[in-house]
Amino acid sequence: MASKNWPISQSGLRSSGSVSSVLLSDPLNPVESPDFPPELARLPPGRHGLPREFVAHNQRERLIAGLAEAVAENGYAGTTIAHITRHAAVSRRTFYEHFSSKDECFVAAYDTVMNELRKRVGDAFDQEDEWPQAVRAGIAAMLEFLTAEPHLARLSMVEALVAGPVVIERYDAAIQSLVPYFQAGRDGRPDEVLAGLSSTTEEALVGGMVSLISRRIFANRTEELESLLPDLVEFTLTPYLGSAEAAKVARES
Amino acid sequence: MSRNTFYENFNSKEECFLATQKYALSTVLEQVVEAAGTLESWPQRVRAGLAAFLDSLAAEPALARTCMVEALSAGPAAVKYYEESQQAFVSLFRLGRDLSSSGPELPEALEEAIIGGVFWILYQRLAVAEAEAIPALLPELVEFTLTPYLGPQAAREIATAGDADGARTTSPR
Repeated sequence: MASKNWPISQSGLRSSGSVSSVLLSDPLNPVESPDFPPELARLPPGRHGLPREFVAHNQRERLIAGLAEAVAENGYAGTTIAHITRHAAVSRRTFYEHFSSKDECFVAAYDTVMNELRKRVGDAFDQEDEWPQAVRAGIAAMLEFLTAEPHLARLSMVEALVAGPVVIERYDAAIQSLVPYFQAGRDGRPDEVLAGLSSTTEEALVGGMVSLISRRIFANRTEELESLLPDLVEFTLTPYLGSAEAAKVARES
Repeated sequence: MSRNTFYENFNSKEECFLATQKYALSTVLEQVVEAAGTLESWPQRVRAGLAAFLDSLAAEPALARTCMVEALSAGPAAVKYYEESQQAFVSLFRLGRDLSSSGPELPEALEEAIIGGVFWILYQRLAVAEAEAIPALLPELVEFTLTPYLGPQAAREIATAGDADGARTTSPR
């Protein structure tokens, strides 16, 4: 079994620095990364909605969290700026000090969620020495995050698709950014395995995986996501390891 | 056509979009079923069905783009219909389990994942307006689809069978 080649860090696709530094501070003085970016710290795991007990001081963070709550409640199309400012408990004027439109606020929220997701997937992937186990850990981390945060899952995988071309472009890029994790599986494989892979194999694997996930979220069956892990692992590893070995890794716990 | 005529037929832009999408997707799926249905062996049916699908997208790039790219931002009903239309391929692909030595052990969600992958590749090409490149994807998509059922070697043989005569005459296994 070939060992992993750390392609992701090299290609710079991993999120560097913290989400809060990306969003909030000037790039010359990045804030040290907390365990959890403040926007999301207000949205702790659980299916009990998006509680208020974490009161962020930063208005922009509050607006982003407010948008996530409002979209969970009304869908993207049905969300108004009044909904957002009510959830964020800030004035309409404050909203316009930070964002020129609902779309712009959504883009900021989307980026926050995706940076966090990318970071978790990357960290999980990096913690494993062998590539097949790293893939499994990355997929597991993704499913865990989306299950724990059903509202954010919906925002990033369903509402994103109706939030206009700017977000769709980001959505496409986010999905494509998973490709190198799988491309790393080509490393050290015998020729007969490589001959079976095409230039679009990884794209197809990623697309298949994401469509499985987003269909569950779309149907409000987020709680089923974690049970998809063995199937997704087997599906994505089979082209590289063959179906018997892929099934074995998929069933390891 | 006048505005009045529009409203005689549709209540809204969304309703008109859905009708277009529904018409286009059902027409394409009919072509797929027709192409696949004439063949005996399952791998050839998959190849012929996919070929018909890719050809029809390339033949109507604007319509294909509307149904597979714009649909994603045309509201929940359009997204739902797009998702459901993918499911039409599930039953066709699922027949492959009977031919597979590991049929019963294959992941439950395999067909859904394969179709999601194929659609994603096509979505990418349509999104960047490269519909004319779509038919050439046939061999790799066939190989991607058949490999989990038949193994890489048999899948490659069917995928690369020459278009001149191979597609419909090569024996399946």
